[in-house]
Amino acid sequence: MKADVVIIGCGPAGLQAGIHSSRRNADTVIVGKLKNSALYGAHIENYFGPSEKTDGSVLLKNGLERALSFGCRHIDQNVIGASRFEGGFRIAVESGEEIDCMAVVIATGISRTKLGIPGEKEFLGKGVSYCAECDCNFYKGLKVAVIGDESGAAASAELMTGYASVVYWVSEKMSADKNLIDKAEAAGVKIIAGKPAEIRGGNAVGSLLLAGGTEIAVDGIFIELGGRSSADLAMDLGVMPEADDSIGTDRKCETSVAGVFACGDITGGPWQLAKAVGEGAVAGINAAGRARGTP
Amino acid sequence: MVTELTESTFDKFIEDNSVAVIDCWAPWCGPCRRMAPIMEDLSKALSGKAGVAKFNVDTSPAISIRFGIRAIPTVLIFKNGVLIETLVGLRSKEDIMEYIDTT
Repeated sequence: MKADVVIIGCGPAGLQAGIHSSRRNADTVIVGKLKNSALYGAHIENYFGPSEKTDGSVLLKNGLERALSFGCRHIDQNVIGASRFEGGFRIAVESGEEIDCMAVVIATGISRTKLGIPGEKEFLGKGVSYCAECDCNFYKGLKVAVIGDESGAAASAELMTGYASVVYWVSEKMSADKNLIDKAEAAGVKIIAGKPAEIRGGNAVGSLLLAGGTEIAVDGIFIELGGRSSADLAMDLGVMPEADDSIGTDRKCETSVAGVFACGDITGGPWQLAKAVGEGAVAGINAAGRARGTP
Repeated sequence: MVTELTESTFDKFIEDNSVAVIDCWAPWCGPCRRMAPIMEDLSKALSGKAGVAKFNVDTSPAISIRFGIRAIPTVLIFKNGVLIETLVGLRSKEDIMEYIDTT
């Protein structure tokens, strides 16, 4: 598939970027899931326009409809990879489809990375990891569990089959694309439906306890919530994130790499709807200009 | 300047520097690559006060086993040859400086 602009993220910043990019006649694709936006479960009362407290999910659904009405396309999946390609960029989504484009807008918001269960903090670096790509080598021949419901967990589980003797993929609400689930299972991943409750061990991780009482003996636990992290996607595109995972931009919301824009929570605080929407508009306008050669 | 260590130079670096800060990393690790400029900044800020180095864990499993490293990046902080802090994950320069100042 080809497009002028690909927007990664389907929250207020991404949707507003889509609206302004398509209004500038750029062929625009928004990739992401509405429910992954921090706004989805929020109630908003400090935003211009609505006369009373409004559900974030309503604003998002309306925003997506507006973007589609201006010609945007929407792919309801996570992005699993990004790269520079022939003077532009190539974005891969969960189904395996690739989109070639001239400008990218990173509007992923801030990734939720922590599970928040007992043992998670205590065993960080002693069996608990948030990066399978980084730490896979330490688990050769050992048993591991990968926790997560989406494409990040799928990719990590598949990766770990090349190192660990046994790989469990523990998912409470599986929502990864079937293509990724099939690939993981074909690689030997054992999928377990369940909710992680506690990480147990002595000097290092020894087991994962699930709600309901099932205990799985493992040496390592990889927590991979959501899709590929915004920091990893930025690095895939040649942008170096800050230590706090935020991405620096100029006044046009363009990053250090020409053609790569960022907007919303990922550029730093304040994490407010109004700021996300404002930056989304700026990024969308300038991404369309960059892609169409009319900056 | 960040000194690049091997297994054979690791212990001498700790002996030669009353404060030694060692970033254990690997080239395939994204957060590790993000640590590199932070460690460069740290070495400038600590010039004359501490030795700052990096060690590629891929070159020798012995160091990882010795210090129980199972996640990277991990920053090891030694004072007078004794390991006083193990920091797991990507850290800011200010964060690492705070640990050096307070421990």
